[in-house]
Amino acid sequence: MAEIRIEGVSKVFGDTYAVRNANLTIHDQEFLVLLGPSGCGKTTLLRAVAGLGMADAGQVLIGGRDVTYLPPGERKISMVFQSYAIFPHMTVRDNIGFGLRMSKTSKTEIKRRVDEAAELLHIEDLLERRPADMSGGQRQRVAVARALAMQAEVLLMDEPLSNLDALLRLEMRAELKRLLREVKATTIYVTHDQIEALSMGDRIAVMRDGVIQQCDEPATVYSEPVNQFVGSFIGNPPMNFIDGVLRRVDTGLVAEVGDGFQIPATSEVPDELMPRVDAPIRLGIRAESMVTSAEPAEGAIEVVISVVEPLGAQNLLTIDLGDNRLKVSTHPSFDVRPGQTVWLQLPAEQIRWIDPADELVLGTGAR
Amino acid sequence: MVAPTVKRRRPLTPYLLIAPALLFLAAFFGYPMVQGLILAVYDDEAVLPLLEDPGIEAESLGTLPQGTGLTVLDQRANLIDGELTSDLLTEEWFKVSALDSNDQTVEGWAPETRIRIREEADDGTPLAGTVRTKLAAGADPQTTLFQEASESADTAAKLDARTRVRIVDTATLELWFLVTPQDDETEVDQSLEGWAPSRFIQIFGEGELGRVDRGTEGQFTSRFIEKMAEDRFFGPAWRTTLLLMVLILPVQFVLATLMALVIHARLKATSIFLYIYSIPMGMSDLAVGILFFSLFTGNGFINSFLEGIGLIDEPRSFLSIDTRNWIIAAIVLAELWRATSIVMVIIVSGLQSIPDETLEAAELFGASYWQRVRYIMLPLLRPSIQVALILRTILAFQVFAVVIALGGGEVVTVLANETYRQYFALRNTNVASAYAVFILLLSIASAFFYLRAVRTQDELSST
Repeated sequence: MAEIRIEGVSKVFGDTYAVRNANLTIHDQEFLVLLGPSGCGKTTLLRAVAGLGMADAGQVLIGGRDVTYLPPGERKISMVFQSYAIFPHMTVRDNIGFGLRMSKTSKTEIKRRVDEAAELLHIEDLLERRPADMSGGQRQRVAVARALAMQAEVLLMDEPLSNLDALLRLEMRAELKRLLREVKATTIYVTHDQIEALSMGDRIAVMRDGVIQQCDEPATVYSEPVNQFVGSFIGNPPMNFIDGVLRRVDTGLVAEVGDGFQIPATSEVPDELMPRVDAPIRLGIRAESMVTSAEPAEGAIEVVISVVEPLGAQNLLTIDLGDNRLKVSTHPSFDVRPGQTVWLQLPAEQIRWIDPADELVLGTGAR
Repeated sequence: MVAPTVKRRRPLTPYLLIAPALLFLAAFFGYPMVQGLILAVYDDEAVLPLLEDPGIEAESLGTLPQGTGLTVLDQRANLIDGELTSDLLTEEWFKVSALDSNDQTVEGWAPETRIRIREEADDGTPLAGTVRTKLAAGADPQTTLFQEASESADTAAKLDARTRVRIVDTATLELWFLVTPQDDETEVDQSLEGWAPSRFIQIFGEGELGRVDRGTEGQFTSRFIEKMAEDRFFGPAWRTTLLLMVLILPVQFVLATLMALVIHARLKATSIFLYIYSIPMGMSDLAVGILFFSLFTGNGFINSFLEGIGLIDEPRSFLSIDTRNWIIAAIVLAELWRATSIVMVIIVSGLQSIPDETLEAAELFGASYWQRVRYIMLPLLRPSIQVALILRTILAFQVFAVVIALGGGEVVTVLANETYRQYFALRNTNVASAYAVFILLLSIASAFFYLRAVRTQDELSST
C-alpha cells in the first residue's frame, strides 16, 4: 500500500508562494497527473513529494509514513527527471542498476532486475553502451528503466516526454501507460500538456499559480471544470466563453448575449443562478457541444462564419457572436465557407454558468 | 559507389586568422625554444681542423677535439690584414731603412725582437730605433734584413748591431703552429699533423707542448648532458623536486576537492569561502616564500608563538643548514598554501558543470553524500582533475622562488635552482640549458602520462 497524502503543503521562494496549501490524496496504484502551465508550481509540488526541496509548511505522507523531512533516498520512491539525468560516465546497465547498488542489493538480483527493466523498455541491446552516443528517445527509455528497476511503490515523473519529438511522444505516451499499469506503482506525473494528462491520468490535478484548482477524473475535468481557467486550459480548442446578462422570461431563465440573442437555460439550473437575474453572466461551452445547421432551426441563433479551419477529423469554425469569438467544431462533411450564414444551437445541458467576477463555475461546489 | 563530383572547398578564413598567431608562436616561442635545445646538445667550438699549410684557405687534413694535447713541431708567422683578435699570438715586423757597414742605404724587414725602438710618434707609431746586439755566443753578430716580413724570405741585407734605423713600415703577423696530437686519452688520429692558427692553440712552457683551446667547427655532443648528470647537485635537485611533488600534490588535490565541495554545497555565505580561498592566487610565489620565511625564521611568528605559550625557552632555528627536513616542511606548507586555490577553482568550475538533476537523481536513488562524491562527482570531475594535474605537475617541476626564499638554494635545491645556478653563478649556458631541457622533457612526459592515465574523452563526449 502506498497512498500518498499531501496535506497543506506550501513552498515559498523569496516572497512568492510556488505552492500554496496543496491538499491531495493519491490512492494506491493510482496514476495522478499534475497539470498546469509552466510556473504554476506543479514541479515544485512534485519535488516536495520527492524530497528534493523540503516543504515549508504541511506534511507529505507516503503509505501512512510521514516523510516530510526525510531525505529523498529514504522515501522509497523513484523518479524520472525531465532532463533524464542519466549518469553520463556509466553504461546503461550501471545507470539502471545504480539505485539497487546504492541499496546494497546482491549482484545477481541487480542483474535480474536490470535485465527485467531493460526488457520492459526494449533496450536490452543498449545495456553495455554509454549514454553519450544515444538518441533522446533511447535515453528516455534508460531513465524510465532506471526508475522501474527500483520497483518502488511510488513513481514520480517530471515531464518525462517533453524533450521528445511529437511522434516519439505519442508512441511513448501509450507505452508509458501500458508500463505503469503493469508495474502497479502509485504515480504522480507532471506535465503541461493537457492531451497527455487527459489520455494518461486516472485523475488530473490542475494547478495554477501554486494552487490546485481541481482534481478529478479526466472526463469530469474536461466537461465539468470548476472555473474558467480549467475550462480554458483543458481541451483543444479551449472552452468557449460568452458574456451576457441573465434574464427571466416566460419560459424560464435565458442568457441575453450580443444583440438580443437569447440562450435558454435548462429547467435544472443551479440554485446559485436564481439571485443573479439581470446581472452579468458568462456561459461556457465546448466547441463540439454546439450544433450547427445550414437551415434555421428551433432555438438556433443565426450567425456568420468568419474563418473555416479544416483539421482533418473536424472543421473548426470561428464565429463572432456579439463581442464574443466562438470556436465551433463541425464534421468535415458539413460544407461551409467563410461569410456563410449558419444556425447555431447551444444545448442547454452543455452550458456551464460562470460568475464573471470570480470566474467560478456555478453549481460545481467550487465555492 | 559514385565519387562526389563537387569538391568541398576548404574555408580559408580560419587559416588567415590563425596566421598571426602562428607567426607569433614561431618567433617568440619556437625559435627561442629550438635555440635553447640546441645549446644543450650542440657545442659550436667542438673541433679544430688542422690545415695542410699555414693559411686560412688551405685544405683541412682532419680535426682534433677541443682539449687535445699537442706537440708543436714548427711555427710560422702569417701576415694579418686588418682584423685583430685579442687572443692572437702575434709578431711585429718592421720595415727599416739604414746605412749598412759599407755606407750603402739598405731596406728590408726585421722582426721586432731585433730592433730596439728609440723614437715614437705621439700616437705610438715607432719611427726610429737601433739594431739589438746578439748575445748568444757563436751566433752571427749581424742582423739579417729580409725582403718580406718572413724568415723564409730572401735576405735583403745585413746590419751590424747598434746600427741606427728608420722604421718606415710595420706589419703584424700571426703565429701558426704545425702540431701533432700528444694525447693518450682522447681517441684521435695520432698520426695527424697539420697547421693551426695560434688563436685556437694554448701553448705551455717553452713552446713545445700545447692543447686545442677551442675549435672552429660545431658538433652535436652529449657532453653538457653528461656534465649535468655528473653534477653533484643534479641528484639532490631532481630527488628534491620529486619529493616535493609527492608530498604536495596528493594533499593539495584532496584539500582542493574538499574546498570545492564546501563551495559547491551552497551553504549560507559559502561565496565568502571562495574569496578567502582565492587570496593566495593573487600573490607571487616569491612573496609567499618570504611570507613563510617570516613565519619560520628565528624571531618569526612560530617561534614567538611557541615562546609565548611556554613550549620553548629560546627560538629554534627551523631554516638552518642542519634542519633540511624543516626547510622541506616549510616549502611544502608554503606551496600548499599558495597553489591549492588554483586547483580548487578548476574543480569548482568542473563541479558547476555537473547538472543539478544528475546529482538529485543520485540522491533520489539512495546515494549518500559521500556515495555521490565517489560515484558521480569524482568520475564527472575527471576532465577537470586531469587539467589541474597537468598544470600543477608542470608547475611543480618549475618550483623555484619559494625554495630560494625558504632555503637559499644550498641545503635544499631543485632543478630550476640548478638551472639558475649553472647560468648565473657558473656561467655555464650549455649545462643550464641541459637542465632546462630536462625540466621540459619531464613536463611533457607527465602531461602525456596524465592524458593516458586519466582517460576521459570516450565516455564524456556529451552529457
